[in-house]
Amino acid sequence: MKIKIFLIIFFLSLNSSLYAEKSLDENKIHKNLRCLVCQGQSIADSNSDFAITLKMVVKDLIDKGKTEDEIYKFLSDKYGDWILYNPKFNLGNFVLWSLPYAVFILGGIIIVFLLRKKSKKT
Amino acid sequence: MLSNTGNLLLSISILCSFIVVYQSLICLKTPNNSIFKSIYQTSLLQSTVILICFFTLVAAFLVSDFSVMNVYQNSHSLKPVFYKISGTWGNHEGSLLLWVIILTIFSFLFLIQNKNHPKNYRIYTLIIQNILILGFLFFIFFNSNPFSSISPIPKEGLGLNPILQDPALAIHPPLLYIGFVGSSIYFSAAMASIITDYSGKFFAQSIKSWVLISWSFQTLGILVGSIWAYYELGWGGFWFWDPVENASLLPWFAMTALLHSLLVLEKRNTLYFWSVILCLLTFTLSVMGTFLVRSGILNSVHTFANDPTRGLYILIFLSLMIFTSVYLLFVKFKQTNDQIYPNSKETFILINNWFMMFYLITVLLGTLYPIFTDAISNNKISVGPPFYNSVIIPIVIVFLIFMAIGPKAKWIKNKFSNLKNLFLIFCGAIAINFLIIYFFKSYSLISNLIIVSSLFLIISTFLDLFKKPKFNLSRIISHLSFGLLIFFIGLNHNFSVEKDFNIKLGETKKIDSYKFFLQDLKLEQKTNYKAVIGKLQISDLITKEKKTLNPEIRIYDNPQTLTYEASIKSNFFRDYYLTMSNIDRSDYYNIKFQKKPFMIWIWISVVMLSFGGFLSFMRYAKNN
Repeated sequence: MKIKIFLIIFFLSLNSSLYAEKSLDENKIHKNLRCLVCQGQSIADSNSDFAITLKMVVKDLIDKGKTEDEIYKFLSDKYGDWILYNPKFNLGNFVLWSLPYAVFILGGIIIVFLLRKKSKKT
Repeated sequence: MLSNTGNLLLSISILCSFIVVYQSLICLKTPNNSIFKSIYQTSLLQSTVILICFFTLVAAFLVSDFSVMNVYQNSHSLKPVFYKISGTWGNHEGSLLLWVIILTIFSFLFLIQNKNHPKNYRIYTLIIQNILILGFLFFIFFNSNPFSSISPIPKEGLGLNPILQDPALAIHPPLLYIGFVGSSIYFSAAMASIITDYSGKFFAQSIKSWVLISWSFQTLGILVGSIWAYYELGWGGFWFWDPVENASLLPWFAMTALLHSLLVLEKRNTLYFWSVILCLLTFTLSVMGTFLVRSGILNSVHTFANDPTRGLYILIFLSLMIFTSVYLLFVKFKQTNDQIYPNSKETFILINNWFMMFYLITVLLGTLYPIFTDAISNNKISVGPPFYNSVIIPIVIVFLIFMAIGPKAKWIKNKFSNLKNLFLIFCGAIAINFLIIYFFKSYSLISNLIIVSSLFLIISTFLDLFKKPKFNLSRIISHLSFGLLIFFIGLNHNFSVEKDFNIKLGETKKIDSYKFFLQDLKLEQKTNYKAVIGKLQISDLITKEKKTLNPEIRIYDNPQTLTYEASIKSNFFRDYYLTMSNIDRSDYYNIKFQKKPFMIWIWISVVMLSFGGFLSFMRYAKNN
């Protein structure tokens, strides 16, 4: 019963996420790009000339049939990684992406260790 | 004149702190088991003087005394009275004065509130707290003095940044500071506790109400800040994982962990050193947040661009704090014989702490990492919402499940007898999730899981109200509202509608199932700004709903600034959110429209969350 429900949900959501892939969400891309002339705003939130220009560039790239990743790559080559709100997964950012999980796993191990040591004593 | 008065009062405060420390040191050497009356008196005097000092600054703002540099830089004679007052703490120097007030008053209150705890513990707490006070008073006096004078006296002030002229932002700093700075008292108490070996459950009892009160205020402070960001910054979101926002969240995680570990310390007398570490960590993170925000490291990313001495001073102060804490812990650490059975409430509280540390590390790393990469490899990177969302959200799903089950466990040794109920609740949560899919539209796997687990938490916490003969109402309220918070954030995030388009006066635009009509533009002259007010009609072609919104473009006089005021129509089901901005060299206006479901419930959930904290504080204060 539980498994059945789980499977239904799984396929329903899989379906929806597949569906979302079909068209590129312009707004989502805008939100992932930093407005370089503003203080901590994405170009989706900004009205600066820079944001307006960049939105046109993004639209242009989408019309040319570029994928989301290609657009990010194009812009980061041009403006540097500073423009991407989603830091790339590369060697330089390895610590950033992996340390939280490493700490999480370590924390789990510490707790298990703590509990096992105590229960052995009793 | 007021400048001199202020400086005099600041000097008296410094003197008072020295006297308190001196008297305390003598008191330590006296074998007598009670604290000198003179210490109480000096502490009271110290609190009074610093309050008067603050009101002197408020007075300078009220009468627009531009001979005071701080007033000249941050006020204007034509500003409404309310914002003249709130302008006092709306700047670096004034807010530091507020910071010291809370340090001092908390120090005094802690002294008089804990009469049944040993003398040495209380005295050491007082001494350490006064060292903190002195640190900040020196900083104010020599580096960031709000009473510096200016001559010749300017005729008019420069004015307060218009986006800070706002009721929410007027109360935001005091609320946040009670949380932020309030944590100093258990920093001092934790140090005193290690020094005097006053450990265990009595230590927990002496700081518990301080943790509760600072946690509740911190929660409210963060809330007010996000509400302000929501309606003032004009991008329709309430949390951007901006470094400044993160700086307020980091101590919150540590405080939340502490709040829970204290329960174990109080009930079972274990986890003492861990609780002390959390006490020290909370205030250290608060000071670190202040350092990051004030030094200008984060805003501009050019290290210490704002004022190098300012950042440097806090950095030295911070390093001393960390060094002393680590040193004391290192010297005094003892292997304790903690007895924890794996299936017990203690374990679940440890799990809470485990997750809180994960959130803390993630946010800390995300905030600091760009500084490191910039320093090491000269490669500037941004760590924004996508990073936090993808790292944290999957973990939150598991966290919510634990949060639902944990409080049902018993102390010492637990046996789950109600697994069947939990399974039924889980099925209920899934069923509701299906209803959501049916009424809105389908959404991604991870969002499904978030909704299901938050519903699981909500339902099972809610049912706790009926089950036990004796229940902990404040816990239920806080856990329930945290579930609601995640639930509504999930719905809001997934089912928001956003439209971005350009329109000119009199034009009608149809986008998907919405029709927009820019009916009118009015020019109005207000006391300290001019405004262009738009009248925009929105009709939903499916529900036939019609709304009229009035976004504004404001031109403030002093200082000359352009701001965009969002127009928000909110009810219990959704917010209509709209901003309008002019486009240079054209008669078109850019419109950003958002329809955000259940927005108001996000605020309500957080208010309930902190209400749970206040309730627990009041009950605890009554019993002790």
